[in-house]
Amino acid sequence: MTYQLYRNTTLGNNLQESLDELIQGSLNMYRFCDNVWTFVLNDVEFREVTELIKMDKVKIVACDGKNTGSNTTE
Amino acid sequence: MPSAPSRAPRPLAYWVIPQLPTADPLPMDEETETYLELYLDQCAVQDDFVPPRSPLFSPVVPYVYTPNPSNPETTFNSHLESKETSGNFSSVDLSFLPDELTQENKDQAVIRSKHETEENSETQSQQSRLPLPSGQDVGPGSDSSSLSNSRSHLHPGDANSIQSAPAKPNCNSSPLASITPMTPMTPVSECCGIVPQLQNIVSTVNLACKLDLKKIALHAKNAEYNPKRFAAVIMRIREPRTTALIFSSGKMVCTGAKSEEQSRLAARKYARVVQKLGFPARFLDFKIQNMVGSCDVRFSIRLEGLVLTHQQFSSYEPELFPGLIYRMVKPRIVLLIFVSGKVVLTGAKERSEIYEAFENIYPILKGFRKA
Repeated sequence: MTYQLYRNTTLGNNLQESLDELIQGSLNMYRFCDNVWTFVLNDVEFREVTELIKMDKVKIVACDGKNTGSNTTE
Repeated sequence: MPSAPSRAPRPLAYWVIPQLPTADPLPMDEETETYLELYLDQCAVQDDFVPPRSPLFSPVVPYVYTPNPSNPETTFNSHLESKETSGNFSSVDLSFLPDELTQENKDQAVIRSKHETEENSETQSQQSRLPLPSGQDVGPGSDSSSLSNSRSHLHPGDANSIQSAPAKPNCNSSPLASITPMTPMTPVSECCGIVPQLQNIVSTVNLACKLDLKKIALHAKNAEYNPKRFAAVIMRIREPRTTALIFSSGKMVCTGAKSEEQSRLAARKYARVVQKLGFPARFLDFKIQNMVGSCDVRFSIRLEGLVLTHQQFSSYEPELFPGLIYRMVKPRIVLLIFVSGKVVLTGAKERSEIYEAFENIYPILKGFRKA
């Protein structure tokens, strides 16, 4: 647990993963609270073998744990 | 390297024109620079977004404040000219600057002016333009950059001890104890043109109000809060690219900035986010806690030799870590020295400590150059 704590702070210094995603231009916003992740993405392409779906704004709500994460799109 | 801002006229209340001392003009040293720093810092504190600083405003030059916006520039220009020709500061008339303050008076003045600035920052209006400190932290070689660098080395120290407005003059003649004697500190040494670049600045600030972290995490953008893992909200902003750890006590840590100005600006932005969420956030005791710099000496180094001759300072365990850990005593800086010639310097509270540490280590490293 303590290592995770340090990981958070070193993340702040160097990794900036989320910000790198931001800079790539797709991730608009992220949030993590009560073990629920919320992402808002812009200009998203969902690609399946046969199908391609494009969307301007996608909100992903994801929960952790035994239950599967839930997705909502708008 | 930050240079002074060009800014709109300020109400005179924020700048107390002191009684002119009848004694000799103050020698141009760190104390007189301090008051310039104070003024500039105070204005930076008032503005959330400080406009980009004009290169004309050499911070080493004494700045005569007048309400007329056109005058400061011409005053600055004339001072700038005399400055660059003389090279020392004894010829410049500094009689407008207040007498030296004692440390306690300065502290009291700082507290008073902090209250002022807190009120100001809470009522100030939005400015649309984001300030960006000028690109390079360090300019090697030229006079003006050495002046700027001597200023920039001084600034973080001042930012630590003196946060905002110039204080009322106090007729004690004892010099400011907190500031070490200023040697003309240029990052360009006699031996090399290598200047360490700052990579990371860690700073802390007190928002001075209890915070509801859950509310912040739920309403702020780009926030993480996992109380089971870490009892703080981790928030990030894009410009300057930084991460903040915000605690429920109201204290905040800001990491990732590449310069002192950026760190302060980023911390202000986080404070504003918290403020907009409805908390009475203030901006108290901003302090830079650590600065990390790095550079490349461009030759390979015999670390074994170095650890043998400097064993009281060095620790080199290649099986544990490939770099030699050199704990310099003065200044108190830790250097990670690698065979490739790359050097990391950390533990600094001020930029000048990084530069000084590198100045000290470079001749030693040259002595252990491979082949």
